[in-house]
Amino acid sequence: MREKALNTYTGRNALASLILCGPAVLLYGGFIVLPAILGFAYSLTNWTGWTARPQYIGLENFRDLWSDARFSEAIRFTLLETVLIVLFFTFVSMMLAVILDKLRIWKGPIRGLFFYPYILSILVNALLFQYMANYREGAVNTLLRAVGLNAACQDWMGAAEWAPYFIFMLVAWSGLGFFTTLYLANLQTIPTELYEAARIDGAGPFSVFRRIQFPMLLPTLTTTSVLALITGINLFPQIVVTTQGGPGFRTFTIGYYIYYLGVLNNRQGYAAAVSFVTFAALVIIAGIQVALLRRRQVSL
Amino acid sequence: MLTAGILFISPCLLAVLNAFKTLPEIIQSPLAVPKHPTLDNFIYLFTGVKLARPMANSFMMCIAVILSLIATAPMAAFSVMRRPMATGKFLQLFFLAGLTIPFQIIMVPLLQQFRLMGIQFTYFALLVHYVSWGLPLCIFIYSGFMSSIPKELEEAAAIDGCGPVSTFWRIIFPLLTPCTVTVVIFWGLWIWNDFMQAFIIMGPRSQLVFVQLWRFMSDKYVKNWNHIFAGVVVLSLPVTILYLSMQRRFIKGLTAGAIK
Repeated sequence: MREKALNTYTGRNALASLILCGPAVLLYGGFIVLPAILGFAYSLTNWTGWTARPQYIGLENFRDLWSDARFSEAIRFTLLETVLIVLFFTFVSMMLAVILDKLRIWKGPIRGLFFYPYILSILVNALLFQYMANYREGAVNTLLRAVGLNAACQDWMGAAEWAPYFIFMLVAWSGLGFFTTLYLANLQTIPTELYEAARIDGAGPFSVFRRIQFPMLLPTLTTTSVLALITGINLFPQIVVTTQGGPGFRTFTIGYYIYYLGVLNNRQGYAAAVSFVTFAALVIIAGIQVALLRRRQVSL
Repeated sequence: MLTAGILFISPCLLAVLNAFKTLPEIIQSPLAVPKHPTLDNFIYLFTGVKLARPMANSFMMCIAVILSLIATAPMAAFSVMRRPMATGKFLQLFFLAGLTIPFQIIMVPLLQQFRLMGIQFTYFALLVHYVSWGLPLCIFIYSGFMSSIPKELEEAAAIDGCGPVSTFWRIIFPLLTPCTVTVVIFWGLWIWNDFMQAFIIMGPRSQLVFVQLWRFMSDKYVKNWNHIFAGVVVLSLPVTILYLSMQRRFIKGLTAGAIK
């Protein structure tokens, strides 16, 4: 009798769980997890084209990756961008946060100005940068011509030696406010007694930064550097809007290469292999990064 | 510092200035204040490009996604965090894993999946994708907030004979309002601004604002900057107004996922 009551109780409980969790599990499982698993399965096939039947070819795609010059080119370019992005977002936004934190007046509005590009669409930001970089009518060249530096004019997005830096600047501009805000939130948790003690001891702003702020900001530094790493490795929509990988194949990021293979060129099997290798690399790099930075946090 | 801040957003100001110029004037003097401000560019957007429909579509899409997320994510977070479930711990990790999956990995198989379901290139497919894509982060944000709600409330409700589902909607959900605001801001903005995923999932058929703007601007070899700038200004205006009216909420909402 009691057992039966218990059974109906757990039955109702399970039903409630199903109602509460079911929709989320179904959607997320069916349209995020399942495609991710299928993607791995596809990476073991020579699937080309939406209607073609994929054929199992084992690890051949992964073997091909080793000798794929375009892939290694894309890795090199992505890593260059990632290094620039990570350095910029971890250190420049930290500096900016320290400066903004000292402001007495108009703290909110100024902070708001720096955050503003982050709320705009990537497409808007990319268009603005593309406009500024334009050879004929771009703002950068107009300014250069105005001060008589006609020779310095460049097709900034079209020239292979400048395009990477323009793309980096685009990403940096869009995200600076976001990363600065993460640091600012952390700076506000530093107890004021520390600053007072430093002032009594006669510490200048530089040593305050080095001895107090920097060590206290290390937890956020871990977060920002990992987030910046993810931003860098997954760099992709910005390329689609601005250079589309050009000139030639000089600004292919890994993300754009996957899109190029899988969506534009019907090499879905191979594209899946590329995306899995990249994802695995990202997880490993981020893991090492977190481990290293955590160790440093403890030792301080 | 204020000057630095204004200089920082000068590209945006430039776009606003140039949106009121004719194309020859933009090319001749891109940095100057417009001599004869004109509204032609904006008029063209609504008569030539017909941007009003896509704007309405995007707005509807935002609402649909946000409502679906609010209907599913907080319930799941509640169930996983608060109820005795055999699979609770597993589900927590299961949803957390979603935060790490990049779009590039699921892109190609997802398209195939929608094809097999017969809903490829439809708004419904895009809606399904947006909601599933948003779920892990929403559940993450709600789960973090859930721990600040006292357990006694649920116990009291249970004693009064209130079932788990109605306990959630009547008692817990109203307390999660700050979280819900965050979710609305974050995903509303994200979906309004998105063009990449919409373009890949739905193709050029998707009548959403930024996809249309992108198609329109990549159409021609010579760029009509005057129309592009007008488009940029019009599409960023709703976001900018909301941002100006509740800046603190915005900044808090957009960084919520990262700080926790």
